[in-house]
Order: sequence, then C-alpha cells, then structure tokens
Amino acid sequence: MGIEMKEVVFIVVALLTVVPCLIVAFSRNILYSAFSLFFTLLGTSGLYFFLDAEFLAIAQVVVYIGGVTVLLLFAILLTKNIQEIKETNALSMKRAYFAGASSFILLASLIFLAVKEWKFFEAGPGTDYPFLTLNQLGELMLNKYLLPFEAASILLLVVLIGSLVIAKRAVK
Amino acid sequence: MEIIGIQSYLIISLIMFSAGIFTTVSRQNIIGIFMGIELILNSAALNFAAFSRFSAINLEGQAFSIFIIVLAAAEAAIALALLLSIYRRHKEINAEHLNKLRF
Repeated sequence: MGIEMKEVVFIVVALLTVVPCLIVAFSRNILYSAFSLFFTLLGTSGLYFFLDAEFLAIAQVVVYIGGVTVLLLFAILLTKNIQEIKETNALSMKRAYFAGASSFILLASLIFLAVKEWKFFEAGPGTDYPFLTLNQLGELMLNKYLLPFEAASILLLVVLIGSLVIAKRAVK
Repeated sequence: MEIIGIQSYLIISLIMFSAGIFTTVSRQNIIGIFMGIELILNSAALNFAAFSRFSAINLEGQAFSIFIIVLAAAEAAIALALLLSIYRRHKEINAEHLNKLRF
C-alpha cells in the first residue's frame, strides 16, 4: 500500500500549517510574523476541507484571512515607524526562558501521553459522517444553538460600537 | 496508523498550541502577543472539528468551532482598537513598559 495522492496533499497542507507557526514564534521581524500567520490560517482552512467541514473552511478564509490578518497589518503599520520595523518584535529574554521551558514541558508530556495511550485515540464504531454537512449544520445552529447564535450577534454589535468609540477617543 | 487520522490532527494542533503559548509569554510587542492568542484559538477550533469528524456522531463540534471563530474576530477588533488608543497615548506598545493599571 503506497501513499496516495490525497495523503501527499494532506502532508503538504500540514507542513504549510506547522512550519509558519514556528516562524510566528521565533521571527524578529513582526511583518514576517504577520505573513506567517496568514499562511498558518490558510493551511488550517485546508485542514478543515480534509475534515469534510466546508462551511468552516470558507468561514476561516473569510473571517481570519479577510478580516483579522488585514486588521493586524493595519495595526502594525499604524503603530510603528517603518525604519525600525526590523527589531520591533524582540523577545523578552527573562520571560523567554520560562516560556520555552513551560511550552517544551507541555509538548513533551502530551506527546509522551499520546504515544503511551495510542489506542485511546481509535475511531468510534459508527464512521458514517454526513456527506454534505452544511444543511445539518444550519439546522443545528438554528434549533439547538439558537440562543448562543443570538448572543453572538449581540456580541458582534457591541464590539462594532465599542471599537468605534475606543478608536474615536484615541484620535482626539 | 493512517495519515489522515485523528492522531495527525492532534499533533498538528498540539504544535500550534505550544507555539502560541511560547509566543504569548515571550513577546515584548503587544501585536506579537495577540498573534500568539490567535494561534491558541485556532488550534482549539481545529481540535473541536477533528473530534467531531472522527467520532462521527453529530456536528456539534463544528458549531463550537464557529463560535470560536466569532469570538476570535470580536477579540481581534477590540484588541486592535485598544492598541491604537494605547499607542496614541504612550507612543509605544512595549509590554515591558505598560505594567501599570492606571495612566
């Protein structure tokens, strides 16, 4: 059993997701970090396609890449002089040791646990996932999760007004 | 072990989560800290969708992922508006120097 085409594409998408994460964590130029975050979010969208979650993939592209990344780039360019952009993303050394130790311990212990308890992650018995998930997702959002849906819409309204008020006060 | 399986998704989102933790704790720039928070939220949403797919019972994990994306977008807007306000007042956004709760 060789490796099929779909799995090759999956490995490429996974590398496109994982490698820019490390650039986000270790780059000294904040523009490089922002563009690496862009590639990470794009790769996550591709991983959603492999999970048969089409709506999530499209929402990821629209919200994160169309909204959050552009907002990040605007914030970087509004808050920094363009000359000093190369050293603006410095690590704080006294916190970097602590951060590296804690995240390495977390990573090592979880990988150890995953290797030791590998059979814990086997798939369930019924593996017939719905072919087109969009209709059922819409029914779920408008029946069972109607109250959180409305709460999220109110939250977005509050965020719209609140961010306008905060940014307007800053302009004064 | 299958390549497209729950293990691969768990490892990918674990690496993403660890990079996010490191970025959040160790950056001096507030925008860098914010990127770390985005990585953490993204890995959590990916985990929800992966467990929903491979347990194959229903779609509730995807609903949680949608709510996570909505909250991340709201958090991004508010955080960057606050960031601009802080920059206009202090002329810098270094987290080492912004350690007082009152201005």
